[in-house]
Amino acid sequence: MRQGPSAWLLLVPAGAWLLGMLVLPLVVVVVFSFGERGAAGGYVPAFTFANYLNLGARWAAFRNTLTLAPLGTLACLIIAYPLAYFLALRAPARWRTLLLILVIVPFWTSILIRTYAWIFLLGGQGIPALLEALGLGAPRLINTPFAVLVGIVYGYLPLMVFPIYVSLERLDRRLLEASADLGSPPWRAFLQVTLPLSLPGVATGCMLVFILLMGEFLIPAMLGGGKVFFVGNALVDLFLQSRNWPFGAAVAAALVLVMLVTVTLYMRLVRRWAGGRDDVSLM
Amino acid sequence: MRLYALAVYLFLYIPIGVIALFSFNAGRHASQFQGFSLQWYGRALANPLVMEALGTSLRVAFVAALLATLCGTAAALALSSLAGPLRRLFDALIYVAVMIPGIVIGIATLIALVTLFDRVNPALAVLWPASGQAPQLGMGQASLIAAHGLFAMALVILIVRARIAGMDRSLIEASADLGATPFGTFRQVTLPQIAPGILAGFLLGFTFSFDDFIIAFFVAGSETTLPVYVFSSIRRGVTPEINAIGTMVLAVSLALLILAQAILRRGRRQGSGG
Amino acid sequence: MTDRTDTMSRQKFMQELWRLKRGSVTRRHFLGVTGLGTATAVLAAAMPGLAPRRARAQGGIGNRVVLATWPNYHDPANFDAFTEATGAFVDVNVFGSNEEMLAKLQAGGSGWDVFVPTNYTITTYVSEGLIEPLDLSRLPNYDPAAFDPRFAGPGTVDGRIYAVPKNWGTTGFAINTSKLGGLAMPTSWKEFWDITRAEFSGRTMVHDYQLTTIGNALKYFGYSFNSVDPAELADAERLLIDCKPHLFAINSDYQPSMRSGDAWLTICWTGDGKQMNRDMPEIAYVLGREGGELWSDFYAIPKGAPHADAAYALIDFLLEPEVNARESLFHGYPVADSRVNALLPPEVLNDPILYPAAELLDALEFGAAVTLTDPNRAELMARFKSA
Repeated sequence: MRQGPSAWLLLVPAGAWLLGMLVLPLVVVVVFSFGERGAAGGYVPAFTFANYLNLGARWAAFRNTLTLAPLGTLACLIIAYPLAYFLALRAPARWRTLLLILVIVPFWTSILIRTYAWIFLLGGQGIPALLEALGLGAPRLINTPFAVLVGIVYGYLPLMVFPIYVSLERLDRRLLEASADLGSPPWRAFLQVTLPLSLPGVATGCMLVFILLMGEFLIPAMLGGGKVFFVGNALVDLFLQSRNWPFGAAVAAALVLVMLVTVTLYMRLVRRWAGGRDDVSLM
Repeated sequence: MRLYALAVYLFLYIPIGVIALFSFNAGRHASQFQGFSLQWYGRALANPLVMEALGTSLRVAFVAALLATLCGTAAALALSSLAGPLRRLFDALIYVAVMIPGIVIGIATLIALVTLFDRVNPALAVLWPASGQAPQLGMGQASLIAAHGLFAMALVILIVRARIAGMDRSLIEASADLGATPFGTFRQVTLPQIAPGILAGFLLGFTFSFDDFIIAFFVAGSETTLPVYVFSSIRRGVTPEINAIGTMVLAVSLALLILAQAILRRGRRQGSGG
Repeated sequence: MTDRTDTMSRQKFMQELWRLKRGSVTRRHFLGVTGLGTATAVLAAAMPGLAPRRARAQGGIGNRVVLATWPNYHDPANFDAFTEATGAFVDVNVFGSNEEMLAKLQAGGSGWDVFVPTNYTITTYVSEGLIEPLDLSRLPNYDPAAFDPRFAGPGTVDGRIYAVPKNWGTTGFAINTSKLGGLAMPTSWKEFWDITRAEFSGRTMVHDYQLTTIGNALKYFGYSFNSVDPAELADAERLLIDCKPHLFAINSDYQPSMRSGDAWLTICWTGDGKQMNRDMPEIAYVLGREGGELWSDFYAIPKGAPHADAAYALIDFLLEPEVNARESLFHGYPVADSRVNALLPPEVLNDPILYPAAELLDALEFGAAVTLTDPNRAELMARFKSA
């Protein structure tokens, strides 16, 4: 295609937007992260590494995030995969669209309202009361890492189901038939044909969920009772309670760095695993 | 397998059922059902704060998605014919924009804009003619649109670019060979092919903005979007009004979905008929 | 309904109110079944002085006023009455700590018209230039002479009135006595933290608020509630982190969990204690023997409030003795206004939850301004939460 001044012109609005709302704010975060907290909070210009050296004080938040985000992703995957498999390969064709839509519909109410439902369901008068009535004991569920995990799975399940469904749907059924004709038991056909072909979807879904979980704030805030703390909660706390902008900026910078590293590593790993295939992408 | 699917659907729908059920609660409490009533729907609809928040959310989501679609499509078109360092720079920025957590965007935008406004506002006051009151820049709908639009634009660029990559190039060459102007080629050949991508990008951007809480929490200033309103209602103490709002949002989304499906089906039938 | 103003005497109004108030269950029933309309009508009709303001109000206080306040701190019926009278809806934002309010104001563009700071924070708001002196001519219901200076004093900084008193109260703890088993009733902060780590493990809540949570941990060791001494704070931090696995939640809105029975013990403010005790007599409100916090809250208007007219109208409305009395009956916090106390029934004025015995009261301390800005206390709280 032609390449002239007009192509450059088309890039100007997007470039300005990225510069003004992404690059500049991130630069400000980095600059602030070397500053000092003002007497009543906020930011005072300075050049110190103290904020970065103090990151250990939020180690627990990073540890929680780096445990519960992969765990939540895995839980989503375990629950989503059989469902996606059912939808793509087992569900009656007539019902498939409807069933798929039914997976997204909950996604259309605000995550706030969906999470809020679980406050009631996991609270003492919800599921624990039901279990007690059945004589199964009354476990304490709300304000535990388990509650946060349930909220995560509930919130992000559709994001995992979809990419897997798409990759399974593309699967050439004749391959499965061929495999069956050759006398393979179904589980071998699954391991040798279905699973490898669905891996791009799995990789995409995991990445989507994992990225969102790394910055999660709402679900732990609502279902964790202020006790299950993610980096996102630590950030909100630093900006909206202790008003320590420089330290908050350092934590934010560290979070972005951790994400860049994990996501890049993950993509490398998946690419190598998938044998350099290119269809594993973010979208 | 079927049983498993059923169990997952129950898991997905029981909480929503509980929300809907308690929206019809006659009592003030969200945990004990005290009889059937529609009063909370009445209260939510009569509450101008809810309606204003809904209006703000719709306005912000629409403008952000529209601007993002325009700028994003333009950039995607330009990038498809670009190579070299500039292209790599854009790729990297888009990657960062999509990947960076909303909470970091919210915080970064907040401190950057607050710092900027703190510098600009006094300057404006000095420079402004003495006759009038100098305008004060502050956080509000504009900053929220800019922050939401950023993510939406990155989505649009990714989607539209994927669409362009899958486009049949020979048609463009044919069009040029037949003497069409570049703009004519764009309007008659390129645009129809990438239109679904543009529409999908717009819808995704709109949905993202409409549903976002965390960026709005930091960037919206004194403006209240619907998620921010719901969040502060939950903190204020839960009443079935929140359930009523949630149920209505769900019902409207469902209705739109069914409508869209019907339109699509009709379009397809006409398409295959013609 | 305005024509009922004359037919309903002040006494009748209080009787009416009191009948409503007697059991909160009936009130909830009353509000729930009839909707708030009836309550609003009764209230609006019984309030002298509403009619003229309505005329003024329609002149243009706008259709909204944004209030930043604390959990369970207002009677919703009063807001409905305000809307009814002025056309302005009250947009209520709830916060669980003074730090959160300060952070929001410091970041600019909070959009608030009225907020509710606590005594010890006002000097900081003034020195940070976040609030302006009040124009008392627009608050005819504020009568300085009627207020107890002990609770009204902090509103005045450098001789200028920046804030007018809302309520005062104490910070103790609420305990569900039906869960005590054979345990003796705790009466001190030492016992509070000790049973949290033993019999009440998993059932205790503390505020998401450094002043009270750290302050009452300091009390375990007998230190000052307001201490910023690093060694004393280190002791408090060890205690808090030791207790954290045993907590049910860290949240300043503890009523729902206490009422549902999920939580049995919580750091608690006067009014919340009163509200819970009224509905569930097994929940008792206790002041720690070692002391703790005595506080008074204020109404203030942030600099640049977008609806300043509505802000003054709302504060003045809420300071009206009848309205204030109804607020107090609803939320159970005492008022420092003698005009309001004259309207309150003797049962309330003799209620030990609202007006603790002198020896308990004497041990309490007002919060100190330094705790709001002390970086070590803020960071300690954050470390405790993220631990």
